[in-house]
Amino acid sequence: MQKIFNLACGSFYALGAYVGVSAVAAFTAAGGPPWLFVVPLAVAGLCVGVVGVVVERGLLRFVYGRDETFQLLLTFALVLMLEDVIRIVWGTSPRSTAGLYLAYGQVRLLGATVPVYNLIVIAASLAIALAIGWLLTRTAFGRIMRATADNREMAEALGVDMGRVYVRVFTLGTALGTLGGALVIPATAAMSEMGIELIVEAFAVVVIGGLGSMRGAFVGALVVGILRAVAISVLPEIEMLLIYLIVIGVLVLRPHGLFGAVPA
Amino acid sequence: MTTTRRRFLTVMGGATLTAGTRLATVPAFAQAAGPVKIGVLAIRAGIAAPVGAAGLRGTEWWAERTNKAGGILGRQLQLVVEEESNPKDTVERYRKLVLQDKVEVVIGGISTGVTLALGPVAEDLATPWLSWDGTTQKGVEETMPSPKWAFKSVDNEVEAIVAGMLTPKYFKGIKTVAGIGNDYSYGHDCWETYQAVLRRYIPDVKFVLELFPKLGVTDFTSHIASIQQSKADLLMCSFWSGDATIIMKQAAAVGLFKQMKGVFTTAGGVHDSLKKEFTPEGLLLGYNTMYFADPKGSPLLKQFVGDYKTKYNEYPPYECDHAYFNAESYKQAVEKAARGGKQWPDKAAVVKALEGIEVESLSGKRSWREDHVQMCNFYQGITTHKNGYDFVTIDPIEVVSTKQAMKPAGSKLMDWIKGWKV
Repeated sequence: MQKIFNLACGSFYALGAYVGVSAVAAFTAAGGPPWLFVVPLAVAGLCVGVVGVVVERGLLRFVYGRDETFQLLLTFALVLMLEDVIRIVWGTSPRSTAGLYLAYGQVRLLGATVPVYNLIVIAASLAIALAIGWLLTRTAFGRIMRATADNREMAEALGVDMGRVYVRVFTLGTALGTLGGALVIPATAAMSEMGIELIVEAFAVVVIGGLGSMRGAFVGALVVGILRAVAISVLPEIEMLLIYLIVIGVLVLRPHGLFGAVPA
Repeated sequence: MTTTRRRFLTVMGGATLTAGTRLATVPAFAQAAGPVKIGVLAIRAGIAAPVGAAGLRGTEWWAERTNKAGGILGRQLQLVVEEESNPKDTVERYRKLVLQDKVEVVIGGISTGVTLALGPVAEDLATPWLSWDGTTQKGVEETMPSPKWAFKSVDNEVEAIVAGMLTPKYFKGIKTVAGIGNDYSYGHDCWETYQAVLRRYIPDVKFVLELFPKLGVTDFTSHIASIQQSKADLLMCSFWSGDATIIMKQAAAVGLFKQMKGVFTTAGGVHDSLKKEFTPEGLLLGYNTMYFADPKGSPLLKQFVGDYKTKYNEYPPYECDHAYFNAESYKQAVEKAARGGKQWPDKAAVVKALEGIEVESLSGKRSWREDHVQMCNFYQGITTHKNGYDFVTIDPIEVVSTKQAMKPAGSKLMDWIKGWKV
């Protein structure tokens, strides 16, 4: 919607992961029961999303009208700076939440052992996707967002305060990133460079799904995730090859992605 | 290069001289009392940043101690630290250290790609370079066959060789093995070498699956599912950074090591993140060249571990020992080359003195082989929860020397393994 290519989204994810680790550590140290750990984790993940306000008001708003190259350079600088900030605050070693991953136990599903926490994250992702869908299609703010995405000048001419819309949308996006980082942390470990890995994958998801489409992002993420899992099981050598073949296929045959809007 | 041309651009570390008082016209004798500049290359960013930090911390601890004890030949030490990043930029910084900062020696270098590029430059600039890490067999054979100024790390494959030797001892009846490692030279070389060694001990062993995810991947659930499907008796994993912690956690979540045995050749590099909650007992775990909790460790090791824990609230990994050894061997080589005098020896004499020198390092005695390769011990063992930490340690501890587990000078790795009498 903001027509900005934000490389720093992966860094927000990493930031959420680190803050999540610290929040859970503080919660456990204060004697909080292990089964409740997901609450401070999610709250911390959401709260750190306010960094979006600082980034949008302090940096991005100055480059909206500029060439995409400036935007890429600026957000890439942010990636490097946030990586250093993480290293200064949390050190260089990987950080994790010890044994909380299995706090909710495991279940047998179709012959496989699955940690219940994974199911909670899947459920949370679906809930977030539905909530965003509702926000976009059923609320006044959602209509303003869609109108702005379609035609920025027209929306502004009709009295939409673009600055306020942008800061809200960007903060919402940032909070989703930081929440994602926090929620994934019990199953993995936080590493300062984890954001970069995510950007590459997110790029494939967005190209397949279509730039600027929520439904596209959802479907693109499922396509990439399932393809990777299948490739690793069947022919591990082609894991990345397969995804980028599909990316190339989409770019050639359907340049706007599966659900991206074709410009008039 | 003579000391009369030395310029003091920055004064760091333990240097206590008054800046600006010792310039070009000062006699050589007075120059010798100035600080010795030691160039250090350390990775500061990316996935190997913790390894770089450990090497730098080991070097700083050594420098502080040495300065307190009077320095080298009465001269205080001054570390000039530069970042190791990509090969091109690191080569530039290496040149700066030697040509502009006028360091006497450069220590450090971790990444294989970078150290292979540094080798020829070190030879050109005729200044000793002692590498911490990062020199795989193939690369060394091709680009640094017989270096004069470069001193190379232990062969990367040694931990895979040691693990291959210990696998049949601790895990009887292994018939099928799956492997996972990072998708670059280290991961592939370790897997290839581990297979070659294990075949010597268990000729009918079958390698049923190999997976090479990229460095930096943080989700291994699909890989673990694939490993489970392979129904191997054992999983060999050469991860050395945060991914070792992650795969351990995700494997525990699906009970992988209830189903098969596990060999982690290098995960001791992130040992204090291998928490007991998700790291089972009974895995073979490698600590590379230093085991921080060695009950037979020297007073030097115990003091280092104590100081490290106090300062950084972590327990030191092996790279500290590579770094300490490099620096300490340089000091002792300078003293040896000075033959009891106070005159600072030239660089060629120091290199000569380094060849074959044996010094006391954190992990015990370590030496430089005549062909400029580090010699030391490797520590691996079976994970246990019986300790006072919240992470696993090893018991029993197996100590294997590079005399036994590293190919001798001049031989080819695979030919050497094939020639073993098992």
